[in-house]
Amino acid sequence: MIELEKIVKSYTLGKETVEVLKGITTTIEKGEFVAIMGPSGSGKSTLMNIIGCLDRPTSGTYFLEGEDVSTHSDPELAKVRNKSIGFVFQQFQLLPRLTALKNVELPMVYAGASKKEREERASDSLTRVGLRDRMGHLPNELSGGQKQRVAIARALVNDPSLILADEPTGALDTATSVAIMELFVELNKEGTTIIVVTHEPEVAEYANRVIYVRDGLLGKQPMNGGFPS
Amino acid sequence: MSLFENIKMALMSVKAHKMRSILTMLGIIIGVAAVIVVVAIGQGGEAMLKSQIAGDGNTIEVFYQPSEEEMQQGDWEQNPFTSDDIRELEKLDKVTNVVASTSEYSTVRLRDESTDTSITGINQAYMEVNKLDIAEGRGFTSADFLGGRRVTVVSAAMQEELFEGKSPIGEIIRVGVQPVEIIGVLEKPTGLFAFGSVDTYLPWSAMRNMFGTNNYSQVTLEVGDTDDLKPTGEQATEVLNRLHDTEDSYQVMNMEEIAAGIGQVTTIMTTIIGSIAGISLLVGGIGVMNIMLVSVTERTREIGIRKSLGATRQQILFQFLVESIILTLIGGTIGILLGSGTAYLVSFFADWPSLISWQVVVGALVFSMLIGIVFGILPANKASRLDPIDSLRYE
Repeated sequence: MIELEKIVKSYTLGKETVEVLKGITTTIEKGEFVAIMGPSGSGKSTLMNIIGCLDRPTSGTYFLEGEDVSTHSDPELAKVRNKSIGFVFQQFQLLPRLTALKNVELPMVYAGASKKEREERASDSLTRVGLRDRMGHLPNELSGGQKQRVAIARALVNDPSLILADEPTGALDTATSVAIMELFVELNKEGTTIIVVTHEPEVAEYANRVIYVRDGLLGKQPMNGGFPS
Repeated sequence: MSLFENIKMALMSVKAHKMRSILTMLGIIIGVAAVIVVVAIGQGGEAMLKSQIAGDGNTIEVFYQPSEEEMQQGDWEQNPFTSDDIRELEKLDKVTNVVASTSEYSTVRLRDESTDTSITGINQAYMEVNKLDIAEGRGFTSADFLGGRRVTVVSAAMQEELFEGKSPIGEIIRVGVQPVEIIGVLEKPTGLFAFGSVDTYLPWSAMRNMFGTNNYSQVTLEVGDTDDLKPTGEQATEVLNRLHDTEDSYQVMNMEEIAAGIGQVTTIMTTIIGSIAGISLLVGGIGVMNIMLVSVTERTREIGIRKSLGATRQQILFQFLVESIILTLIGGTIGILLGSGTAYLVSFFADWPSLISWQVVVGALVFSMLIGIVFGILPANKASRLDPIDSLRYE
């Protein structure tokens, strides 16, 4: 489903050109649960941004569901993000003035869904993550775990082919982290492709496969499924 | 995303920062209110001037302007309208009344006191057409006019001047040396040009007997319909010039032209003062831009979230543009209400009519919306250009 071919991303800082990704080639199949790991500065965030269509590679090609998105224009990328990708962030990234339900509706607002359809699907989505009775709450009335569930409900609501989670447990305690990761596993079992970017081996353990990024290149896959410290 | 959705979102955002929104709108509010007040008072004044100059619109004054030749030969009259002229004018088709009068300046005495006054000898039509209302006593009767009785109606100012406000009815005053009995006092005049002048009115026949004037100095024609004014005026001048064997000495004045001229002056005044008030609108617009820029910076993360969820640049641009338009539109509406209220108070206390036309209201709304667009486009553009990755990381 995701085919990355010699992805290079470089930034120009003054006169210097820094190559963050130095040619990454990998494939992620539909229905996989993949963890992307790597130390800070390895380029894993940049890779996630490119997979998430928030950024374009400097060179190389990226096929998402058979579509070459590496040459898409800004509005086309926005559409891909809206329809095909659901984001889950470390800091939840909920709009503080909107209720849980309204936050979950947001992607559908940009998709142009009717009010009725939005409300229906958003409440379905919230029910799916176990927040049926918290729909009218504002984010600051929810716990960290609940906030992250709202964010996951929001990621799910447009029925994306891919959920991209960037350190989804980074701001949560251990027990809550386990619950959230179990939710991801459950969603994965239901057929959603999930990519989790993390530096925590405990989180990566939930994935079927780990992609290790170091110095802008893919590293070796650990033998035991764990992660060398 | 629909416009309605955007408006709802903008209203929410305005409500979320009430104090800031009100302060931001203040510039627009003051600007719009100032423009509304200035224009309302200007247009009201113009309407009043016009109505007072043109009167009710169905009279036309005939005047005598001797040619230079006639002036040099001394062949001109101080009282250019004869009784025959009046009779001829009365015969004209559409003329309902011919108002004729003669004025003199003279001293009026009451025992030891005296005052200078204009003495106006009037015909019967004068009372009716000029609506001289009697406050006390009675007006002239036909018998007064026909018999040339030495009776007089005086102005309220005269009553104050000579009688210190006491009733003058039945008193005898001396105009020159001739005794005249006061039978009535006029209502105090109201309106913009109502200077309470000291006036004495006599039946024209009495005036003729007392001063020996045979002719009239002023003639005004009244017609039934305003549309008849122009043709009747032309007929009248034709008749008079023929009777007096003059070329173009008898003329009529077109009040509409004068009113239009004055209208032009007030329009220019209103425009000048209005533009000065408009500058405050501009300043208000800059205030809106300033706050919107702050708002964009504050909401960087929100913009990042929206973009990651699939909002396009246009959608973000539109969101912020709608917000600034909503701000200025609300400000404009408040300004219109405030300005209308102020204009109403001014006309209430200053006895000056104000006129709020729908054109001005619509214009103010459109203009405040325009300010919202012009000064909102820069912040909105800035918001739309934000990089989603950077904005999501923004603290």
